[in-house]
Amino acid sequence: MPTPLELIKKKRAEAVSRIIGKGYLSTKRVYVGMATCEIAAGSKDVMEVFQKAVSRGLTDVYLSQKGCAGRCNLEPTVEVIEAGKSPVKYGKVDKDRAQQIIERHIKNGEVIKEWVID
Amino acid sequence: MGHRLKKERNRTVTATSYRIIVCDGTACINKGSRKLTALLREELEKHGLADRTTIGLSGCLGMCDKGPLMVVNPGYTIYGNVTEADIPEIVEEHLVKGQPIARLVIQEDHLYNRFFRVFGDANFFGKQMRITLRNCGIIDPENIDDYLSLRGYEALAKAITEMTPEQVIDEVEKSGLRGRGGAGFPTGRKWRLAAKEKATPKYVVCNADEGDPGAFMDRSAIEGDPHTIVEGMAIGGYAIGSDHGVVYIRAEYPLAIKRIRKAIEDARAHGLLGKNILGSSFSFDIEIRLGAGAFVCGEETALIHSIEGARGMPRPRPPYPAASGLFNKPTLINNVETWANVPVIILDGANWFHTVGTETSKGTKVFALAGKVVNTGLIEVPMGTTLREIIYDVGGGIPFGKRFKAIQTGGPSGGCLPEQYLDTPIDYESLAKAGSIMGSGGMIVIDEDACMVDMARFFLEFTQDESCGKCTPCREGTKRMLEILVRITEGKGQPGDIEKLERLGNTIKKSALCGLGQSAPNPVLSTIKNFREEYEEHIHEKKCRAKACKCLVSFEITDKCIGCGACRRVCPVSAIAGSPKSKHTIDQDKCVRCGMCFNTCKFEAIAKV
Repeated sequence: MPTPLELIKKKRAEAVSRIIGKGYLSTKRVYVGMATCEIAAGSKDVMEVFQKAVSRGLTDVYLSQKGCAGRCNLEPTVEVIEAGKSPVKYGKVDKDRAQQIIERHIKNGEVIKEWVID
Repeated sequence: MGHRLKKERNRTVTATSYRIIVCDGTACINKGSRKLTALLREELEKHGLADRTTIGLSGCLGMCDKGPLMVVNPGYTIYGNVTEADIPEIVEEHLVKGQPIARLVIQEDHLYNRFFRVFGDANFFGKQMRITLRNCGIIDPENIDDYLSLRGYEALAKAITEMTPEQVIDEVEKSGLRGRGGAGFPTGRKWRLAAKEKATPKYVVCNADEGDPGAFMDRSAIEGDPHTIVEGMAIGGYAIGSDHGVVYIRAEYPLAIKRIRKAIEDARAHGLLGKNILGSSFSFDIEIRLGAGAFVCGEETALIHSIEGARGMPRPRPPYPAASGLFNKPTLINNVETWANVPVIILDGANWFHTVGTETSKGTKVFALAGKVVNTGLIEVPMGTTLREIIYDVGGGIPFGKRFKAIQTGGPSGGCLPEQYLDTPIDYESLAKAGSIMGSGGMIVIDEDACMVDMARFFLEFTQDESCGKCTPCREGTKRMLEILVRITEGKGQPGDIEKLERLGNTIKKSALCGLGQSAPNPVLSTIKNFREEYEEHIHEKKCRAKACKCLVSFEITDKCIGCGACRRVCPVSAIAGSPKSKHTIDQDKCVRCGMCFNTCKFEAIAKV
């Protein structure tokens, strides 16, 4: 009989493989803030833009929602995380900016400096 | 393939622009971190890296024994015990050649600073320390796999497997954690009191009834990382011998409710809640009770009444809920933020937790930073951080070049602290000594445009409205205080009003039944103490220096007026007259001081006097 500690470690390994199965190891991971405050600032529209792009064939991207990181006056926020590079955090993202993040950053690797939270 | 990848990585690494974070906590500064920063700048200059490498400072990273600390991003490489001699090597090997220096690297597997892998290089976040909000903004709150992958529920498993309930309580007590709901009662002691009770069943309650105007710590914590609360409560249940948890949350937080509900269901499906958790003999489950949003229901005895289905009113203590709480059974009530600390204490250890914070207040505190500050937001800083650091370093200062006037901590139960208290460190005792309270974490920055009398009136209006009416001092006393304040702001203040407010306030503080009433006069008393001259001006000179009290302000049109007529058209009582292209005038007898002309004028030609 495994101990609870052994069991939870097994559960963790399973969870990790499930996340990887969903594409976690894709080149780019995109997180969209989806707490009440972010949604009020318009993050649902932003999420939709990303979801549409993925469903229309944007590949090698792992898309996820996230809670609020606490950057109220710059919401909605979006992070683009890539192995070996500094995580890029965008603020005040709207539909148009989301589209540009897809075109310029995700597809062409350009960090759009003027929207980055510093 | 492997070769190509490696080559690819080398290429990207050397072309990277780095961001280096130097820990600017007290311990690291004492060990010479600022000298290291200067040296680092010189070295970067020497190698021509200065323009594509940025240096940032962080708040305490919580590994003080290994300081001075430096984090190189991307890659989140942490260097510890860095000496001046190491700097050239770090620049040459790591930044130029892309080879991290193994002997300086610190391997850490702490829960708390995972946040910084993603956010640590942004100024606003780098100066914080995130223990309870460690996963907020990092993981998908609706996916239990995300939480599990970050050692989720390992603290619960560790407690069940390796620790007796007694040892869990010892660990919490040793950590020095105190209740984050506001009063700051030692959490370990509370747990011990509940554990030693013989009666069954026992209950574990999470107080998520967040009611302070402008506070949203609990909402964000639950929306960002609900499983932490579930895990913390389960550990509490194991420690005191309870199998029944209740989350009391206000119905005004639909998304938070949805997420905590999903977290509970998912945990159940994984055998992390329910009968025989993880195959052990420990059983624990959680139900959700919705509150209707009364401020007083955040008070623990009122909260218990509300869960029982009775009217949310407090009762005298003792008996404390630990002895006789929900359905007159032993009940352990902690606030959301307190629960969120528990898994970290179990996994990272009480000894580590004990190193963060001040002598009497350990760990971190979450604040909802709002008001007249550049970066409004949810922040978490180590206890002992000063108000000045919060406002200017994390908050970025006051916008539009305005002057700082006061900071209100603790919401409607707290006090307003003026400039001379800016270097007060955040801990329960220091804030109380300064005349305010920690409270649950509302923090409002006030600039010169605000009238302190009006501010006090606003907060008292809130508590007066939320008074449950059970005890006379609160029901009648706050009402009378509010009447006096209203009259002062309307220019009808009488000599002696200030003294009357003080006497009433101090009486209510001493005699009200619960925390709501006892703290309700705080905003008034603290503004009288620190801004007495503003009260006097209102009463004796009928003047409001901030020009915020409507009745004490009049509007006049200055020579800047070009006669566009915008103010005349917008005035609801037709008090403004004038012909086109000539200066207009306001009939003071007709004017109701609504301020619409002031807001409409594009030429700043209307003055408040």
